[in-house]
Amino acid sequence: MASDKVLIIMTSGPDTPRRCATPFFFASLAAAMEYEATMFFTIDGTLLLKKGMAETVYPKAGGKPVSGFIQDALDAGVVFLACTASAELHDLQPTDLIEGVKMVGGASMWQLAEDCKTVLTF
Amino acid sequence: MANIRGCNLPDDLYYLIERHVWAKPVGDGVIRVGITAVAGKLSGGKLAAITVKAKNIGQAVQQTKSIATIESSKFVGPVPAPISGVLLRANEKLTADPNLAISDPYGDGWVAEMQAGDWEGEKGGLATGPEGIAAYQAAMEAKDISCS
Repeated sequence: MASDKVLIIMTSGPDTPRRCATPFFFASLAAAMEYEATMFFTIDGTLLLKKGMAETVYPKAGGKPVSGFIQDALDAGVVFLACTASAELHDLQPTDLIEGVKMVGGASMWQLAEDCKTVLTF
Repeated sequence: MANIRGCNLPDDLYYLIERHVWAKPVGDGVIRVGITAVAGKLSGGKLAAITVKAKNIGQAVQQTKSIATIESSKFVGPVPAPISGVLLRANEKLTADPNLAISDPYGDGWVAEMQAGDWEGEKGGLATGPEGIAAYQAAMEAKDISCS
């Protein structure tokens, strides 16, 4: 077990905007603390990675869109993985997703979870 | 105390310019470190927390690695170590009032103290004195950063 790896599983999506800022904020914070931070997107979380989608989702009215939180996390070095099954659920192709996202199978989530000291789910 | 583009930057400190942190020897090989007025401006000017990772106290930290995190409503990011050394202690005053790092960044708002690993070797790579301030000013102008 590596002590410096953390995993955030993101299941919330555009239907619940208020749940869509903190996970990215926490991921950026983890990276700033020198943890190797990974976000695994599944269920509706994957929809946030669809090109153009996150720009339309506002956790707080008049505030920063989710795309800003996503960019902060990517800039901080957080690794984004999207679940292939959830992409299929939403009829998304790899080319439909924003730059910087890698698509992986669900089994990768189990391997990551086993490898990480802390796993958070949103 | 030089005032550069509205930012106070004392010329007796040692700066890691691109990371907006400073270092200052306080005796016995102990180096006090903190964030600059520029970092305060870039973080939005009102902080929610500055947190030194407790696990790192007593541990060796390499230059540029994170010794603390800054949180504000619009920003989250690391406080990189300006030098290599052992992290000795955090400034506990910041727990109660993180905005001391904004209002008094070179005084009560220091972030941590480190036992330098190779101060004589590393200080040459930091910016200090009038030349250092001029270099900081050039970096700010290149990125169009000001505190006013």
